[in-house]
Amino acid sequence: MPQNEHIELFQKRYGFRMDYQERQRKKKAREHKLQSKMAQKLIGIKGKIFAKKRYSEKVQLKRTIKAHEEKKTRKKDEGKVPEGAMPAYLLDRENTSQAKLLSSMVKQKRKEKAGKWDVPLPKVRAQSEAEVFRVLKTGKSRRKGWKRLVTKVCFVGEGFTRKPPKYERFVRPMALRFKKAHVTHPELKATFCLPIVGVKKNPSSPMYTSLGVITKGTIIEVNVSELGLVTQGGKVVWGKYAQVTNNPENDGCINAILLV
Amino acid sequence: MSLYNFKKIVIVPTAKDFIDIVLSKTQRKTPTVVHKQYKISRIRQFYMRKVKFSQQTFHDKLSTILTDFPKLDDIHPFYADLMNVLYDKDHYKLALGQINIALHLIDNVSKDYVRLLKYGDSLYRCKQLKKAALGRMATIMKRQAQSLQYLEQVRQHLSRLPSIDPNTRTLLICGFPNVGKSSFINKITRADVEVQPYAFTTKSLFVGHTDHRYLRWQVVDTPGILDHPLENRNTIEMQAIAALAHLRAAILYVMDISEQCGHTIEQQVALFESIKPLFANKPLLVVLNKTDVIRLEELKPEQKTLIQGFINDDIPVMEMSTLSEEGVMAVKTEACERLLAHRIEVKIKSKKVEGILNRLHVAVPKPRDGVVRPAFVPENVIKQRLTKEPKPKKKTERDLEVELEDDYSLDLKKNYDLPADFKYDVIPEFWEGKNIADYIDPDIMAKLEELEREEELRIESGVYDKEEEEMDDEEKEIHRLAGKIREKKAIIAIESRIGRSGGAPVMPRAGRKRERSVSRLRSEFEELGVDMSNKSGAHFSRTKSRSASRPPIKKARADSTGRVSSSSRVTPRDQSGIRNVELKAKAKKMGHKAQGKMNQFGKAGEADRHIAVKMPRHLYSGKRGIGKTDRR
Repeated sequence: MPQNEHIELFQKRYGFRMDYQERQRKKKAREHKLQSKMAQKLIGIKGKIFAKKRYSEKVQLKRTIKAHEEKKTRKKDEGKVPEGAMPAYLLDRENTSQAKLLSSMVKQKRKEKAGKWDVPLPKVRAQSEAEVFRVLKTGKSRRKGWKRLVTKVCFVGEGFTRKPPKYERFVRPMALRFKKAHVTHPELKATFCLPIVGVKKNPSSPMYTSLGVITKGTIIEVNVSELGLVTQGGKVVWGKYAQVTNNPENDGCINAILLV
Repeated sequence: MSLYNFKKIVIVPTAKDFIDIVLSKTQRKTPTVVHKQYKISRIRQFYMRKVKFSQQTFHDKLSTILTDFPKLDDIHPFYADLMNVLYDKDHYKLALGQINIALHLIDNVSKDYVRLLKYGDSLYRCKQLKKAALGRMATIMKRQAQSLQYLEQVRQHLSRLPSIDPNTRTLLICGFPNVGKSSFINKITRADVEVQPYAFTTKSLFVGHTDHRYLRWQVVDTPGILDHPLENRNTIEMQAIAALAHLRAAILYVMDISEQCGHTIEQQVALFESIKPLFANKPLLVVLNKTDVIRLEELKPEQKTLIQGFINDDIPVMEMSTLSEEGVMAVKTEACERLLAHRIEVKIKSKKVEGILNRLHVAVPKPRDGVVRPAFVPENVIKQRLTKEPKPKKKTERDLEVELEDDYSLDLKKNYDLPADFKYDVIPEFWEGKNIADYIDPDIMAKLEELEREEELRIESGVYDKEEEEMDDEEKEIHRLAGKIREKKAIIAIESRIGRSGGAPVMPRAGRKRERSVSRLRSEFEELGVDMSNKSGAHFSRTKSRSASRPPIKKARADSTGRVSSSSRVTPRDQSGIRNVELKAKAKKMGHKAQGKMNQFGKAGEADRHIAVKMPRHLYSGKRGIGKTDRR
């Protein structure tokens, strides 16, 4: 025992009080009362945190109880056959029901009409100009209002230089220029931080595409050389498309799903 | 900065607690209310403040952790080595490095998000950005959970290390397990080290302190070392090796010659040889323990030669037995002396001693002449000293104690001057307010009579007669006057005591004009003995008026004591308008009650409405806690 563990040394030499075990047991037995008192007393943010903690504890408790109970009871083994299971000699046939054919045709037609594409987010909210741009008043008496400040996140290329400030109509502030995106591979379920190559299409307006404005639903091209993907012919894939899934101006980062 | 005591490191919370602490602090210390109709700049400022505050708090806490934990390069190599043995230097450095990285990452996150917040144009957007920023910081901390846990364990263990000062005088005790190192340290210091029959009872370094030559000495007890190469040593042995390697101490290599520890003398000597390189430049002492079982002479010749080998190498060998305590103090003294000599030697050889020697100067008085003046004792005295028989030494209680050993008991009553039968009686000291000791004497009455007779004789012979000093006339006059003054003072005091009637209303001075009359003046001065008979032309007497026919002046009617009373008797104010005694009491009580509140608030009067502090700080500041709000 180390030299300064006085409490433990004393306990080792002289043991505990006569009623020590009893007291410990009783204290433990009273704990649920303290917890319930706390649960009733705490209000405000502390109450919320406490309630959340307690809820997760209760969930765990219920799970363990259920697991124990499952072991105890015995279920009758009905020899269930899962639905749609086919005998081995019928496996090669393609059984598409009539109904299914019809419904798929209807869906196809609808898609073509609406102009939706086969992307993870087929429909996104259109961003109006008032949302994306903010009027910048310039001039000596601040009366001229032809400049616009982009309020959404945008991407500018690497060799980008601004137009002379007197003539630039769309101001893209540096704070809102992003170079990297967090791209998730839908099958691997892994997320990588990949550099953006360019903005392919912004669904709201081609003007936004040319400006490089990135909003939710924008298709961007990312540099996937990090992933080490190779084509059938042996060539290295270095660029792939991805669709943005969050509102980057609210989160401060661009989250996207890779389009495979 | 060398720390010998690592107890002041800040507590490292777990990752979850850390996040909770910082986030709840942010919630408490920053403004909490914002509405969407505020100006956008105000909203932005509100959220930026939160992000910056969280970053600051994280930064502060993490940097205190980083500064509090000792850097292995800054502390004494003994502690650096010990910490390496106990906690693994690489792991330690890595953990601290991770915390450092987390610190920088959090700073960067805050910077980025504050920049983004500047372009937030709605409350919703700013709020989302702040949420994202705080969430990012929290995730960074969550990833550090392992490092924080490790650092907390290190901190707890570090604070429990014994505080060994690597620079002071130290005795280091080493040897095989179970040879008696801990018993030795228990004997010479107050360190209560556990002593048990199994090996490796001592699992860490223990420190105790002892005194020698009025100096404090540190004694360090190490866990036992087994004889195998350095690579195979476990953590416990490595602590002992670290202590041996870095502490500049006197080494006491303890050997068990009775071989009760389970290792033969040959093995012990072999161990000595293998760790010999660690003993370089250190005063060494080989101690043979457990001599109560078997003595050095009783050993077999082969073993004796091994031990003789030590003596041949100039290493002192000493015997002792911690059980019977023989030789323990001798070993301690020897070790201390050797270490002291060694330290002095080292200090002399070092460069610092030049500076000290330059400043030291022993002053010797210059001889006046060449005459030698030795100490001189007359011959007779010398002869006397030789012939005189030595004074018999009085037997002290200590001698008695040593003689009787266990039978000795302290008896304070044995030298009492009483007859033997009641010498040991239990009697009280006081009774009825008198000292019993005053009455214990059997001849007390006879003594009292003698005293009284003596006293009478004395009174008769006039020992106590006071001498009448002859005073001259002046002095007599002074005495008389002094007596009179004292008398008058007493009278005045008594009169004033009588005169004072407990706060009764007194007429204002203007109404008491008639008190001061000429007749009163005359009578008072006559009392004092002043001749007032022919003072007709004096200033105080009324001068004769010019006209003869003047109406007679109203003289104030004074009574025998000279006190003037007006013609109509006016009731005093506290009795006027009150019918009976109860009403009087009630009126008095009402008066007091009205006064009370004014007194409490320090009001000068009924009309005083001054407020000292218009906005007391405790009422106008701070956030509202949980509570009713019907009062400002």
